[in-house]
Amino acid sequence: MAAVKMDFTIRPAAKSDCKDIWRLIRELAIYEKVVDEVVLSYEEFERDGFGKNPLFESLVAEVPEENKSKEGFTVVGVALFYYTYCTWKGRAVYLEDLYVMTEFRGCGIGKGLLSTLAKVAKEKLCTLLELDVLDQNSRSRAFYAAKGAWDVTAMDNWHTLRFDAVSLNKLANEAP
Amino acid sequence: MDFSIRAANVEDCKDVARMNLDLAAYENVPEQCVPHKFCDLDLEQDGFSKNPFFQCLIAEVPQQHKSKDGYTSIGFALYFYSYSAWKGRSIYMEDLYVMPEFRGQGVGKALLSKVAQRGLASGCNMLNFTVLHANQSSVDLYLRRGGLDLTSDVGYHYMAFEEDALQQLART
Repeated sequence: MAAVKMDFTIRPAAKSDCKDIWRLIRELAIYEKVVDEVVLSYEEFERDGFGKNPLFESLVAEVPEENKSKEGFTVVGVALFYYTYCTWKGRAVYLEDLYVMTEFRGCGIGKGLLSTLAKVAKEKLCTLLELDVLDQNSRSRAFYAAKGAWDVTAMDNWHTLRFDAVSLNKLANEAP
Repeated sequence: MDFSIRAANVEDCKDVARMNLDLAAYENVPEQCVPHKFCDLDLEQDGFSKNPFFQCLIAEVPQQHKSKDGYTSIGFALYFYSYSAWKGRSIYMEDLYVMPEFRGQGVGKALLSKVAQRGLASGCNMLNFTVLHANQSSVDLYLRRGGLDLTSDVGYHYMAFEEDALQQLART
């Protein structure tokens, strides 16, 4: 499919963007069929991202008023990320969520968000950008691979493991 | 065997760097992937400055139980805080390592539990980490203690842009 030409800008999110980011993240949860797993409230999300000690940062993609979405939104994409660490490579960035509204895909917005994030990572002296992608999301996996990511799970068989809230409690109770 | 778990301080960086190299060798990470420049000084800067990138726990034995090479710091867990826009604050365990001669004595279990405790105390709802699937004994340990294998069960793929790819991405 040929890319559609569209004006857009990528910029760091401000507190005034929080409602839009929340809207986009919920759309992503619907797209990934996990909306039942969203337990965070909007108030918690706003506090965590734009309060005194932010736990994450975001970049937003914005279109001019004349290109707004059919519901009237101009913030049409988001990249939500935070800083992590790799004891083999040093400072790193983890891309937690990358989402572009369906009607704005194919315009280079996803690529723009990813590239801008890479620039941010470089400025902070990070040498690694990490993310997780679902196996069924072959389009996204191909997108990241095309941009130079390597699939550490497929290549080296690293698995992502998780202790959720219940098992985390149990584990903590066993601490000496 | 007596051992204790405590928060690492800046003087522990040499021991953490030492054990980190052992861990890389254990996981068959090629030597060129662990940069020579990455040493105790990098850990000092990144872990013990005003805005640290990570936290670290040390497992320590008394002098009379030191390792055959004379070390009393015999294990570590390195972690940092992450975030899920669906569940909130999380904790990520980057490394968990116990020197071979001290394994099988509950040190790894204790380190894992302490990381979980730190996570809960900070308001985290989950603990995430990656493990080599070939490391069957570790995978089994985690699954027995309530861990979920998101790669096997849900299809998570961990992907990474390393240095050259990251530079290329930043230029586009």
